[in-house]
Amino acid sequence: MDTLLSGQLLFAALVSGSLYALVALGLNLVYGTLRLLNIAHGDLVMIGAYTAFGAFSLFHLPPVISVFLAAAVCAGLGWAVYEGLFRRLLANPTLAKRVEANSLILFYGISVILQNVVAMTFTASSRGYQYLDTVITWGGVSMTGNRLLTLIVASAVCFGTLLFLRHTLFGWSLRAVIERREAAQVVGVNLNRVQLITICAGFAAAGVAGTLVSMTEQITPFMGFPFTIVAFVVIIVGGLGNIGAGVLAGFCLGLVETYGIALTSPGYRSILIYGLFVAVLLIRPEGVFSKAVRS
Amino acid sequence: MNVTRRWATTLLGASLTMAAAMPALAEGDPIRIGYSMARTGIFAAAAPSQENAYNLWRDQVNADGGLALPDGTRRPVEFVSYDDQSNPANTVRIYERLITQDDVDLLAAPWGTPMHLALAPVLQRYKMPMVGNTAASVQLRKVAPGYIWFPTSAIPDQMGAELAKMMKAEGVTSAALLANELPYAQEFRSFLIPALKEAGIEVVVDESYPPDIKDMTSMLVDVKAKAPDAVIAMTYPSDAFLFAGQAKELGIEAPFVLSLVGPTIDAYRKANGASVDGIVSSAHWSPESDAWPRGKAFFDAYVEKYGEEPDALDSALSFMSLEILQQAVEQAGLEPEAIRKAIFEGSFDTINGKVEFEGVQNTVTPTGFVQIQDGKIELVWPAEIATSDFQPKQGW
Repeated sequence: MDTLLSGQLLFAALVSGSLYALVALGLNLVYGTLRLLNIAHGDLVMIGAYTAFGAFSLFHLPPVISVFLAAAVCAGLGWAVYEGLFRRLLANPTLAKRVEANSLILFYGISVILQNVVAMTFTASSRGYQYLDTVITWGGVSMTGNRLLTLIVASAVCFGTLLFLRHTLFGWSLRAVIERREAAQVVGVNLNRVQLITICAGFAAAGVAGTLVSMTEQITPFMGFPFTIVAFVVIIVGGLGNIGAGVLAGFCLGLVETYGIALTSPGYRSILIYGLFVAVLLIRPEGVFSKAVRS
Repeated sequence: MNVTRRWATTLLGASLTMAAAMPALAEGDPIRIGYSMARTGIFAAAAPSQENAYNLWRDQVNADGGLALPDGTRRPVEFVSYDDQSNPANTVRIYERLITQDDVDLLAAPWGTPMHLALAPVLQRYKMPMVGNTAASVQLRKVAPGYIWFPTSAIPDQMGAELAKMMKAEGVTSAALLANELPYAQEFRSFLIPALKEAGIEVVVDESYPPDIKDMTSMLVDVKAKAPDAVIAMTYPSDAFLFAGQAKELGIEAPFVLSLVGPTIDAYRKANGASVDGIVSSAHWSPESDAWPRGKAFFDAYVEKYGEEPDALDSALSFMSLEILQQAVEQAGLEPEAIRKAIFEGSFDTINGKVEFEGVQNTVTPTGFVQIQDGKIELVWPAEIATSDFQPKQGW
């Protein structure tokens, strides 16, 4: 019981939750706006992690700086994927109807390419580097510097994005595209521009998440898939394309996982996560928070 | 004409000088060695520690003039390899292809226990010998002796017994066990618990966790509250990183901390630095041993070629397996039955010392444990192969 009420557990839950929210944020932006099922999303997290690792080991750049580089690299990939693959597909009404299903296959291919390019460049050996691992104790809670940084950066990016969507003209256009795509075009929203910026932003968010992950976990070219899965769980629990609800669902998943394990046993992790996922699909397939947030 | 002849003489002279100055490069028909490797899929991150050792061995053999045969001739070595995608069914198909279509002369091992176990009947069927390396399970003992051998001594039943002995010797009276749900960790746990009981060591925490665990806080808070003398984390590489980071965060104070698989990987020490000094892990080789002088040479050559340290378990075993093959071929030639007999009856000098087989197992190399000391992998158990004394873990 003491454990349950300890700040230590809350800290752990918030670190996991913020990371889940951030990983899912990028996926949700891309799905919401472009209706693309990006199953290479976890591989973008991996690209972000390798960018941070490469910057640290080759140029001694700390992750607080290389995070911008990782975001830029992933945004660049987003630009290339949009301009090279999806712009024309989305512009053609016949092809656009099938883009959701086709994107699954396209992104599967992108995932395989990204993994193998990184494996060829860095080899498949696991990698890691030491950064900000001093332990800070605050109010009886011990926090490793890099985990605290993860919580701060991931939360800042998530809530910053939500504020941006709520209070800027571009944010309104983006939400308009998510909610009423055709109507948004009618009232003069530049669909192409919104889509391009969103895919770049969504990929960049994954790059940021990858940088954060690289500070605390081993990185390998094949580390991405679990992040893809968790991101899909989060956005389905929150409501597909509902950005705010996705962020909330990410934090909830972190809390459910951490406290669920503390109450039961670590062996129940998958049952807790996928149990929640199946329960949501059965009871509220539109997402737990979808109505509350939209109203 | 004179000018031409002078040029020709000069060129001939120059080429002879160059030939004398260059190391003896291997010539002749290459000896082809086939293997499959988990280049993609779930084992892909672990497999380079093995293939790097293979490539290093090949380069060294070729630079030396090639693989020596009984008649004193040497032939260069060439690898024929395929990606098995971490799937044992693919491994079986690939080795059948290597034997029947590619017609390779010799075989090297794939990565991982399931692959080795799947291959044993194939080798038996085609009567092709293969020295295994990166497999460790009590199931290996059930493999019928014939065409496969396992140089490892990191087999869970022996390890459980040895670890309990070591813990008792270091004055441990209580232990917390945290085990990954994957087979190697669970096998180890199942042999460790009775051994600890016999040694009079109380188990105060016994938790298993899934391989995809992302946070160990609740388990480690429990461990910290029970304050055992030893924390035995039966990790695989990815959770070894997690365990090290979070045990540090929570300030686990046990003087004896073991992390099963992970600490011998170069990246583990790079990611955790001095925090993981004092962590004990499973391996029976260390480059620091004076008893195996070629071990240090292997270590230095590996670091020079790859810019990272070899894995004390997998890289060392992989290199050993090819050293055994090399010595068997030097004695018996390329005929499979002759090689099989040579391996069964022979005694081999490897970077891990002498190796001899009885059935499928290496009967010489003792089961050992290593400890990270000042960033180096030192053998601390058993005493006869130790390169340093065990040092209680002093904080993180």
